[in-house]
Amino acid sequence: MRLNSFKYLVKQGFTGIWFNRVNSFASLCVMTISLLMVGISVLLSLNITKMIGSIESRNEVMVVITEGVPENNITLLGEQLADTPNVSEVSFKSRDDALAELLADMSEDEQSLFQYFSHNPLPDCYMIRVSDITELSRTVSQIERLEFVEMVKSPDDFARILIGVRNVSAILFSAATVSLIIVCFVIISNSTRASVYARRREISIMRYVGASKSFIEIPFFVEGMVIGLTSAAIAFGLTWFAYTEVYTMFSTDVNMLSIFGLSALIPFDTIALRVGIAYAVFGVILSALGTVISTRKHLNA
Amino acid sequence: MVEFRNVSYTYPTGQQALDHLNVKIEDNEFVFVVGANGAGKSTLIKLILRELTATEGEVIVNGFNLSKMKARKVPKLRRTIGVVFQDFRLIPNMTVYDNVAFALRVIDAPTKYIRARVPYVISLVGLTAKAKSYPNDLSGGEQQRVALARALVNDPQLIIADEPTGNVDPARSFEIVDLLKAINACGTTVLMVTHQHDLVRYFGGRIINLNTGAVVFDEVIGGADEAQ
Repeated sequence: MRLNSFKYLVKQGFTGIWFNRVNSFASLCVMTISLLMVGISVLLSLNITKMIGSIESRNEVMVVITEGVPENNITLLGEQLADTPNVSEVSFKSRDDALAELLADMSEDEQSLFQYFSHNPLPDCYMIRVSDITELSRTVSQIERLEFVEMVKSPDDFARILIGVRNVSAILFSAATVSLIIVCFVIISNSTRASVYARRREISIMRYVGASKSFIEIPFFVEGMVIGLTSAAIAFGLTWFAYTEVYTMFSTDVNMLSIFGLSALIPFDTIALRVGIAYAVFGVILSALGTVISTRKHLNA
Repeated sequence: MVEFRNVSYTYPTGQQALDHLNVKIEDNEFVFVVGANGAGKSTLIKLILRELTATEGEVIVNGFNLSKMKARKVPKLRRTIGVVFQDFRLIPNMTVYDNVAFALRVIDAPTKYIRARVPYVISLVGLTAKAKSYPNDLSGGEQQRVALARALVNDPQLIIADEPTGNVDPARSFEIVDLLKAINACGTTVLMVTHQHDLVRYFGGRIINLNTGAVVFDEVIGGADEAQ
């Protein structure tokens, strides 16, 4: 195709937007709302995943060391623990540290009970953290098989609840995102169909004078892409504004999320580029596909 | 050249529009196709333009065998045909110049050629002064001349005029056919479908009369204009 013809077609795409401004505006609004719905769903999902992740990372598993194990074997056990798959962090807590920690949390009356013990009753232990809580039980059973391990205390119930919440939220958000994308596609192809229908006369003339399919489609494709990109820009701006407001509300005066023991929201700056690209890609692909599919219906007529 | 070899066409509803039609139109001929509503005239045009494919027989147009033609080749066929419709089918938001240039743009013609060819064709149909006007500012006859210029601009081998005088007042109708005759005189085959028997009688030439999908009359008659 000649460059001049290509320029002409691109110009026709822009002209088409202006001549069908009512339809174009309707498509723009539908597209923006659809992108916002998908964007909000994904942002919610990202934040919930991050919150669950932060809760997971606070999980500590206590590995109690058998009484009377020599110090070099304790060090060896520490190395074995660090080499165990799924273990992200290993720290040694001596019986003295454990007692001091325990006493610090007790009242003076409670502390006085310890004077009856001739020696420190607490064992030496390792505190470990796992990187994937869903693998917790497997990791625990691996550790239990290690030498010098008396017992392993892990928060199994908590892990089960957390895994449940994470799985359900992943399924819900995936289903919501996929459904929203399908809904967006249907809405967009319907609204662009109206625009194509308004120009069916032009299309039929093009066909009679021997225009190729691609030649007929390009202006509609350009039109769809321009609408898609504009909607993406608007959706991005609205998301930025709304998200920043919500972020400020949760992160400044009263850190509501920390009250519930949850981490703060993801700052928008860190995800802005990804959100922008995702909006642009979705906007362009959805509207261009919607437009081309609607045009093809008239081309094959 | 247009040739229908034993062509039948039956619509999906079961209605038979053409029944074993055999017609041959040689290059440089001017042919009137007449017939009552439902005679098969529109189906004949749709088959030539490859909007429909014959259910039986072969259609040959400008060297293309349409019965065996793949869909992606159809634009190539249509570039050899100019079509003029009763309702003009001009694009209202384009000027006369752009409507005519449109036919060249869609076949990816060079800009230089478009700039030279379009004013020339517009001058042939006598609309140079109206090149910047929009279709809605023109009379029916003028709009049909724009449609004719658009059909002509690609220098087609065949022009199909489907009731080109149907929306034009009688005096202008004769001008339109005069223009088609002049185009034919330059070597383009013209197939004109019409209901206006006075035009056929006046201009004469080859007349194909269709009835219920079959040819009932295919003769050359002398016209009144020749007698004058």
